[in-house]
Amino acid sequence: MGYHWNWSVFLQPTAAGDGSYLGWLLTGLQWTVSLSLAAWLIALASGTLVGVLRTVPNRWLAGLATAWVELFRNIPLLVQLFIWYFVLPELLPQRLGDAYKQSDPLVQQFLAAMVCLGLFTSARVAEQVRAGIGSLPPGQKNAGLALGLTLPQTYRHVMLPMAFRLILPPLTSEFLNIFKNSAVATTIGLIELSRQAQQLVDYTAQPYEAFIAVTLLYVLINLTVMILMRRLEHRVRVPGFVGGGQ
Amino acid sequence: MIEIKKVGKHYGHFQVLSDCTTAVAQGEVVVVCGPSGSGKSTLIKCVNGLEPFQSGDIVVDGTSLAAPGIDLPRLRARVGMVFQHFELFPHMSIMENLSIAQRKVLGRSADEARERGLKLLDRVGLRTQAEKYPGQLSGGQQQRVAIARALAMDPICMLFDEPTSALDPEMINEVLDVMVELARDGMTMMCVTHEMGFARRVAHRVIFMDQGRIVEDAAKEDFFGTPRSERAQLFLSKILRH
Ligand SMILES: Nc1ncnc2c1ncn2[C@@H]1O[C@H](COP(=O)(O)OP(=O)(O)O)[C@@H](O)[C@H]1O
Ligand SMILES: [Mg+2]
Repeated sequence: MGYHWNWSVFLQPTAAGDGSYLGWLLTGLQWTVSLSLAAWLIALASGTLVGVLRTVPNRWLAGLATAWVELFRNIPLLVQLFIWYFVLPELLPQRLGDAYKQSDPLVQQFLAAMVCLGLFTSARVAEQVRAGIGSLPPGQKNAGLALGLTLPQTYRHVMLPMAFRLILPPLTSEFLNIFKNSAVATTIGLIELSRQAQQLVDYTAQPYEAFIAVTLLYVLINLTVMILMRRLEHRVRVPGFVGGGQ
Repeated sequence: MIEIKKVGKHYGHFQVLSDCTTAVAQGEVVVVCGPSGSGKSTLIKCVNGLEPFQSGDIVVDGTSLAAPGIDLPRLRARVGMVFQHFELFPHMSIMENLSIAQRKVLGRSADEARERGLKLLDRVGLRTQAEKYPGQLSGGQQQRVAIARALAMDPICMLFDEPTSALDPEMINEVLDVMVELARDGMTMMCVTHEMGFARRVAHRVIFMDQGRIVEDAAKEDFFGTPRSERAQLFLSKILRH
């Protein structure tokens, strides 16, 4: 095979004249990371709320939460993204819709992808939170209530702190998933990491270097997340506590 | 202090409690016994509203549980409860277990809560364990902490649901000793337990339940002397044998 390796391609100035190709990759990395982190905050906050609601005694609230999970979990991510990006702006009130469509396309792409990824992942986080709460000994809730804590206080101080400890490993993989899934944003034109790799191929005709570099950057993200979550697991470990449930 | 009036409760067609009526006066110690599944836990959980009931009423210190809009957290804060499986909060140190409700419910400062907590740990003989976590204590120690946690709220009465039945035999006495002392100090207590030695020592009355009904409700002397119902006699002969 007559492939001509050329690793110095990353240092060459781009054809568009906006810095080096390495600079393109790093810009992509920045967008991937900020998109994923913003979406994760949305997923964690709304997923926790929905997961808690699935376990409350009120049937209406629990039903609403179940509908949320089924909705965001069962529609393909790509379809959800197109709905947020192409369909929803049309449904906004005229003035708001126009203002949105006249804003910077990058802002539109980022907002749509952030909300989409955040809510998609919230359904998965909610399932984990529900499972975590479900695996606590049933007497814990009664113990909190019997002391006079309100139901929200019991969730906040008694049930959720233990539930989150139990589900840290699956939450870590959801967190990793969000970085992987963020690549769908390329379909609406956001210049995140995987899109920059494609651009690099188009401009330099060095596909191996481009995709190896991008792969390494994704691996780097994974390692960083795993190390941080490991540290967190270690920090919140409960002395003398073995396993979940009783 | 606690009045239970014609309380009935069912799950679907299954009647868990039928027409239960009894009362616990201030300073009285009442032991509740009966076969497994007879509704003892359910009855005692009705007293602090952890289980709802469909008919009758329970009045605790003048507050009716059947009244609409009852402030359950407020009532529960005044009624201490101890569970079979201790139910300490595993992610909190012993001191945090003792102070969380004092602070969040009674609005005590961290220092006040700590002081009260230490006093009660002293009382159950565990002052030196304040900074440990529940998982680092034995079952007997955990149950003593659970009693101290309930007492830290300065309750007007205490409910116990089989507090020693999950313990290894050699740890039962350290918990019973704490309960005996509590009874002698005049605490109003309703205890589900099969520890008849404890009942003989401190109970004023013994209630015997079977199939959701209060079959026998008698002064201790009468109960251990000549229980009227055959089922209670049979039950007593079974549990007193071992
Ligand atoms: N959530 C529930 N749904 C249906 N039946 C229940 C429920 N909780 C308890 N029971 C039934 O109620 C009866 C009384 O239970 P319980 O009060 O725990 O008895 P005890 O404490 O005397 O062993 C049992 O037969 C039990 O199976
Ligand atoms: Mg029971």
